[in-house]
Amino acid sequence: MSERPTPDELAEAIEEFLAGEILPTLDDQRTRFRMLVALNALGIVRRELAKLPPVDDAGQRELAARIRAGDVPAGTLARVKADVHARLLIASPHYLERYGADE
Amino acid sequence: MIADMREALEAVLGPISEPVLLPGGASKEAWAVDAGDERLLVRRAGGGVIHRHTLSLRHEFEVLLAAHEAGVSVPRPVAYIEDLEGREAFVMERLEGETIGRRIVRGPVPERLPEQMAEELAKIHALAPERLPFLEEATIDRLVDELDDVDEPHPAIELGLWWLREQRPPQREPVVVHGDFRIGNLVIDESGLVGVLDWEFAHLDDPARDLSFSLVRAWRFGADHLRLGGIGDAEPYLERYNELAGFDVGPDELDYWELAGNVGWAIGCLTQAQRHLTGRDRSVELAILGRLGAEVEYEICHLLETQGVT
Repeated sequence: MSERPTPDELAEAIEEFLAGEILPTLDDQRTRFRMLVALNALGIVRRELAKLPPVDDAGQRELAARIRAGDVPAGTLARVKADVHARLLIASPHYLERYGADE
Repeated sequence: MIADMREALEAVLGPISEPVLLPGGASKEAWAVDAGDERLLVRRAGGGVIHRHTLSLRHEFEVLLAAHEAGVSVPRPVAYIEDLEGREAFVMERLEGETIGRRIVRGPVPERLPEQMAEELAKIHALAPERLPFLEEATIDRLVDELDDVDEPHPAIELGLWWLREQRPPQREPVVVHGDFRIGNLVIDESGLVGVLDWEFAHLDDPARDLSFSLVRAWRFGADHLRLGGIGDAEPYLERYNELAGFDVGPDELDYWELAGNVGWAIGCLTQAQRHLTGRDRSVELAILGRLGAEVEYEICHLLETQGVT
C-alpha cells in the first residue's frame, strides 16, 4: 500500500538532517569525511529507491471508501487489522510486543 | 539575534538574564529567562505556518488568563507581546517539575496525581465560555475533514470513524476543554500536579472527550497496564471527576471517547507528517510520524475488537 513518507522520502529526510544539521557541527576532520562518505552512500540508496515502481494503493482506497459509505460486513476488521499488522512489522515491530501473545 | 530578543523583552519585563532557547517544540519556540527572582518562560511563534484548529498565541494567552483566574493550576501568565522580533509571543511563569512522559511513568508516581488530574479538569470544564468567545466547537466531522485533507487511504481510521458515528452517545452541552490534556502536557513534581501546559488546542466540546484523552495508549508512554496515562487506573479518576464536575460520565463513555482520542491522534500523526511532506516544516521527527501512525491504527483495531467488531 502507499505509505507516506515513502522509503525515498524517509531517506531524503535523513539526508537533509545529516547534511543540514549534523555536518555543520562536525569539527573533527575524520568524522566529517566519514559523514560525507555516508551521505554519498545514502545518495546511492535514494537513486535505487527512485527506480522502484510506485505502489498501487487502489485496493486500499476502495476499501477505505466502502467503509466510509458504511459498508462494513463481518470480517472487515480482521482484514484491516492484518494489513496494519503487516505495516507495523516494517514501521515499528517492537510495538506489537505491547499487546498480549493472543494478538 | 539573542541580544535583540533580550532588548525587546527587557522593554516589557525590565532587566532579564540572557534568553536560553529550550529544546523541543517544532511549531513554537520556548525561551527561558529570569527577571530578578522570577523564573519566566517566553512562548514565541515558530517559523512555520499556523495550523488549523490551533489557537493563536494571543488567544492561548487569554485562555491561560481565564484558567489562572479560575484557580486552575497553570503557569502564572505575565504578558502578551504582539511583536517579539517579528513574531507574536507571551510570557508566563516557568514552573519547576517534570514533563517528560517516559520519566513520569517510570515513577515513583505521586499518589494523588490521578485525583489531581480529575480536579484540574473539573475546574477547566467550569470555565465560562462567554469569557472566551473565540473558542470553536469541535465535532467528529472535523476529524473527517482533516483526514480527507491528507488524501491517503487508511481503512483502520475509517473503521474507527464508522464506529464513532454508529455508537455516538447522547451529546452533552459543550464546555471549555483543554483539548490535549494528558501526561506530557502536565508539570509534575514529588507532590503531584504542578501545572497544566499547552493550551493551544483549547475549544468547546463534550467534557467526556477531554476526560478520556489521557487514556489513549500512546500517552501511557510504555506503562500500558495503567490505563490513565501510564500512572493510574481510570476508575478513581472518573469517580473523582464526576463528583467535582457534577456530571455522570459512565465507563462506556470513557471507552467511546478513548477510541475517539485514538482516531484523532492517528489523524494527527498524518497531518504532522504532512507538515514535513509539503515542505512547511521539514523535520525527521515529523516525517516519521507518518509511519508511526500505524501504531495508533493498530490500537484502534484492538479497541474495536474489544467492542465486539469483527
